[in-house]
Amino acid sequence: MTAQIDLQNIDKHYGAFHALKGVSLSIEKGSFVALVGPSGCGKSTLLRSIAGLETITSGEMSIAGKAMNGVPPRHRDIAMVFQSYALYPHMTVEENLTYSLRLHGVGKAEAKAKAAEVAATTGLSALLSRYPRQLSGGQRQRVAMGRAIIRNPKAFLFDEPLSNLDAALRVQMRKEIRALHDRLGATSVYVTHDQIEAMTMADWVVVMRDGVIEQQGRPLDLYDRPVNRFVAGFIGSPAMNFVEATVSEDGGGVVLAGGERIPLGTPVEPNRKVLVGMRPENLRVAQGPASFHFEVGNVESTGSATYLTSTDGALQLVQTERLGFSVGDRVGLDIDPALIHLFDPQTGARI
Amino acid sequence: MRRFLASLRDGVGFDILLVGAAMVFLLAMAGLPLIYNVLMSFQQVDMFTLGSLIRPWAGFQNYIDVVRAPEFWMVTRNTIIFVFFSMAGQFVIGFALALFFAQNFPGASTIRGLFLVSWVMPGLVVGAIWSWILAGDFGVLNTILKSLGIIQSNVFWKSDPSFSIWAVVIANIWLGLAFNMLLLSVGLAAIPRDLYEAAELDGANAFQRFLTITLPMMRSTIGAVLSLGLIGTLQQFDLFPAITEGGPANTSTVAQYWSWQMSFQLYDFAKGATISVMMLVLVLIASIIYVRSTRHEVRG
Repeated sequence: MTAQIDLQNIDKHYGAFHALKGVSLSIEKGSFVALVGPSGCGKSTLLRSIAGLETITSGEMSIAGKAMNGVPPRHRDIAMVFQSYALYPHMTVEENLTYSLRLHGVGKAEAKAKAAEVAATTGLSALLSRYPRQLSGGQRQRVAMGRAIIRNPKAFLFDEPLSNLDAALRVQMRKEIRALHDRLGATSVYVTHDQIEAMTMADWVVVMRDGVIEQQGRPLDLYDRPVNRFVAGFIGSPAMNFVEATVSEDGGGVVLAGGERIPLGTPVEPNRKVLVGMRPENLRVAQGPASFHFEVGNVESTGSATYLTSTDGALQLVQTERLGFSVGDRVGLDIDPALIHLFDPQTGARI
Repeated sequence: MRRFLASLRDGVGFDILLVGAAMVFLLAMAGLPLIYNVLMSFQQVDMFTLGSLIRPWAGFQNYIDVVRAPEFWMVTRNTIIFVFFSMAGQFVIGFALALFFAQNFPGASTIRGLFLVSWVMPGLVVGAIWSWILAGDFGVLNTILKSLGIIQSNVFWKSDPSFSIWAVVIANIWLGLAFNMLLLSVGLAAIPRDLYEAAELDGANAFQRFLTITLPMMRSTIGAVLSLGLIGTLQQFDLFPAITEGGPANTSTVAQYWSWQMSFQLYDFAKGATISVMMLVLVLIASIIYVRSTRHEVRG
């Protein structure tokens, strides 16, 4: 596979604010890459830099092998779907779709035919003569995507395209965008703050924080082996539990503040302080002797799953069965040692 | 009675009261004078019938007299020049400045705010200042043009019959510039930034973005600016007494100034009213065109 978009040591300053700090990222042709992180992490800035809407302060950027530093957006051959959709309100759906073609001097008949073709794939055929204000949120979203598709660009950039849709539509559009990506064999970069979107849609997830890439990899690798506490807490829902503990004298377990001991799969350096990360869905209610206990502070049941939260709020547990616990119960817990993540309490790095 | 009072406090009655107050004001202050003015243009009015409402009927005689007046075509030509070039100058330069100040550079909004100066100045003061600038013998404009080598000898802007109307046009462009620029700036600011970004990614260069995004998105603003500009130029009065007084030999007299001369200098109120009614019809036609053109307004 060749890199379609290649970023080397990208830096971006806004005055005194350092938005991107030496970001290097290689995006393979045909892949679907999600940039994910909390707001202000630089993911949108990175996307806009790829589009050329922001000029990078330093670093090398190339698209399809061509250096792109200083190349204006209109010569980058890249399409972008905006969070607001940015449809041209004074143009019909068809005119919105064919805008780029008309700018490039494509003939009227050819543009019309292409618009019809794109409209068919995006389910807009019946709406071609409408104006954006006459469309629902989902339909606008499709027009925005159709406008991107029609040009057959080198890459698609998505800037939180689903955040203005309601939950049900979001789930549906998630699938449609991914299906469209597969059908077109396109290269897509998708910015989102929603890790579920990133996990479900992307082949490759890039987690960012404060202008730095914290970790990148296949979605499940990020879930299974987060490199630090931030990624561990960001990927997965509900978020991972973190408990402070000390490694036992023999290194084969961790001792919690209350004196209870959780066994580890592989021994680590004895007597050191650690942060124990346990995913809520990996915790089990112990059938036999429990390795540790917690007191139920809150019980939420969705029917398919039960969420238990401890009294101090520090620990959460999800079980895909109905549990008959009530507030104040003391519950014995257990976890597969292989599913325990250990982090350094100071640096947050994985041990 | 109690129900009536209650409806005034929190019912339909209160709405009617508010609308009614506005309607009464509008009728008394604008409607009646307008009707009286139209009525007067069809009557014979002289100093003796000035106080009465019912006067001898004149039919269209006043209109015929006005059109046959020796200065009529001169005034018409001047009015067209004044309205067209004032509006064109105000709009084009105002739009250019609005686009310029829409760019992000330090102090953009502060400097734009300073343009308000021309707007808050009384027309008579502006006229007096331009009168000095345009003065033939000691005016600054002549000095500048001469030192740049554009003219060889002094141009007597205000007293040369071929320049007098242009003297007022220049002053009026300056006076109306800020208003045009501010309204157009507001319109520009209302266009979402991401439309430009989307157009840029779609391959539009700056000129194409202006033609395909800015202009169509500004349509209603441009319509409002132009129709307000038309009303503003047809209302512009102060500059004429301050700069040329309509002279020399009516070469800078426009309809509104002529109407004023008729009514308040020659005391021929019927003709003064007639000229103003003719202007009213023109404005009405322009307004109808404007309203019709914005009826199918597209808003996102």
